[in-house]
Amino acid sequence: MFGLFWENIRISFSSILANKSRSILSVLGIVIGVLSVTLMGTMISGLDATFEKSMSNFRSDILFVSRMDWFGGEWDWWELRNRPKIKEEYGERLRFESQFVQAVAPTSERGGRIIRKDRQIDTRFFGTTPEYLSTNDALEIVKGRFFSEGEHRSGARVLVIGADIEEALFEDESALEKFVKIGNHKFRVIGIVGKMGSFMGLFSLDNQAIIPHETFSRLFSRRGWMNIRLKVDGSNIEEAKEEIRGHMRVIRRLKPSEDDNFAINHSSAFESEYNSIKYAIGGTGLFITALSLIVGGIGIMNIMFVSVKERTREIGVRKALGATQKSILIQFLMEAITICFMGGLFGLTVAYGLSMMISRFFPSVMPLGLALSAILLSVIIGIVSGLIPASRAAKLDPIEALRYE
Amino acid sequence: MSDLISLQGIKRHYDVGGEIVRALDGVDVAISSNEYISIMGPSGSGKSTLMNMIGCLDTPTSGTYEFEGELVHEMDDNQLASIRNRKIGFVFQTFNLLPKATALRNVEVPLIYANINRGDRIEQAKQSLEAVGLGDRINHKPNELSGGQRQRVAIARALVNKPSIILADEPTGNLDSKSGVEIMKIFDHLYRQGNTIILVTHEEYIANHADRTIHIFDGKIKEDTGNKKVLEGIYSA
Repeated sequence: MFGLFWENIRISFSSILANKSRSILSVLGIVIGVLSVTLMGTMISGLDATFEKSMSNFRSDILFVSRMDWFGGEWDWWELRNRPKIKEEYGERLRFESQFVQAVAPTSERGGRIIRKDRQIDTRFFGTTPEYLSTNDALEIVKGRFFSEGEHRSGARVLVIGADIEEALFEDESALEKFVKIGNHKFRVIGIVGKMGSFMGLFSLDNQAIIPHETFSRLFSRRGWMNIRLKVDGSNIEEAKEEIRGHMRVIRRLKPSEDDNFAINHSSAFESEYNSIKYAIGGTGLFITALSLIVGGIGIMNIMFVSVKERTREIGVRKALGATQKSILIQFLMEAITICFMGGLFGLTVAYGLSMMISRFFPSVMPLGLALSAILLSVIIGIVSGLIPASRAAKLDPIEALRYE
Repeated sequence: MSDLISLQGIKRHYDVGGEIVRALDGVDVAISSNEYISIMGPSGSGKSTLMNMIGCLDTPTSGTYEFEGELVHEMDDNQLASIRNRKIGFVFQTFNLLPKATALRNVEVPLIYANINRGDRIEQAKQSLEAVGLGDRINHKPNELSGGQRQRVAIARALVNKPSIILADEPTGNLDSKSGVEIMKIFDHLYRQGNTIILVTHEEYIANHADRTIHIFDGKIKEDTGNKKVLEGIYSA
């Protein structure tokens, strides 16, 4: 039986090689199908890896009290606009009221420019308190120090900068204890943050300047976005969220009939938003891919019908010489599988080459499992599309087949 | 002499659009080992149907067919394939070689279906090709061989499984007369070596190679000369 298996592979190859251009054309659909399925999978897994890396900047035990939900939320624009601002003192109230809150840091952000002599860089200013350090593990001061409570309260003109800023403004020099200008104000660099990479490849986390919140408020007024960053007991994040929501409603003096006019955000919001995007891309991609594979399968089925028809006489001879229905079935099935397998292998090779090229611009890795399932998939297509032509071949009457011209 | 094959009351009827065609209508034939037989008859006589029946490609509508004790008329497709593989060597008018395979590969085919391993297969196929004088042509493809050589490859293929009967359907029909003579010499030689040969032909001079001729007409045996040699033996005694 095993000998027959190799025999069938030999027969398949010689038959495929005997009709080279026909085989190549008919397998093109499979090649394209496998190509798109593996590329799609590679992109998604690349996206996953990027997301995973970006999310490490968000600890799961951090909640954000914000004016609005990060994603979704069924509020109308007008309602959102009229929501009251988040105030710094909410943080202290929550620290006092909530049994979950362990650390509090108000954060405000806005874009701006840092100037040093003839150099300058557009960056993001990030105003917060010294307690911020206990709410963000990913933040590491590699040189110098973070600002102190005193510096914060007095609105000192000091800043902690990301690696990108140091590089842009100071090149190889150390930025520590040097002065830079924000607008017309002189600031002293007191610390440098270690490299953190980028968030989803969208913006660099290394291009931000952290200044005391009090300084931020004086410099940029209290306009703009403020969030309260809360480190909570992470053992039951949903319960913590609910409790804090309750306290916020009290702080905001909301009647039971009124809706929340604030939002409690959690990093899981990113995850669910990301997942819904991922599934949308993946689903659409899968549909298109499935379509091209079906078309490819039909192509194979068609060519197998032609092959069976052409070789009717050969089938008759083989039957006369002792081939059973089963051995004829296996012969043609193996031929369909072999052609699909080679198509799949070729598609995979091309996809691998392309993913190597893409990985220069976009993080992408072809997972081994995906490669294997692409091959498996092409074998399955071979079986499915070869089955009907092969069983037609197997059922041919040897006398009729021998007489066939 | 015990019968190698025995057909009794064989009928083969086809339903062609509601009309019953009696291709074979009660045929009794018994063939012994090492007989040299020709089956003759005009086209439409049932000659081909009888050949298919003997070759186990077809089963009778009624009647019994016994092949070395095996009941062919009761067999299913797989059993028929097996008995063809083990006991019958086919030689066709149009050779029916696989065009893209070498002579050796062509001769190997019956052994593949007999599940013989590759080493033994090549060995036996080579021997068979040598027996028909093609030992130096084993790696040639059919289109690199003459008509006579192709038919010799086909004979080698028929012999390779050491069959009980060799069934040849108009073996010289597609050959020039010189090649035809050559091929008939091979059959004569095989017969003398102890093989049982059945020739299906409509040519008198081909049929004359055989010791016994069965004439078919309208699905019935019109004449069976019996084994001339045996008869001669009886008369001369």
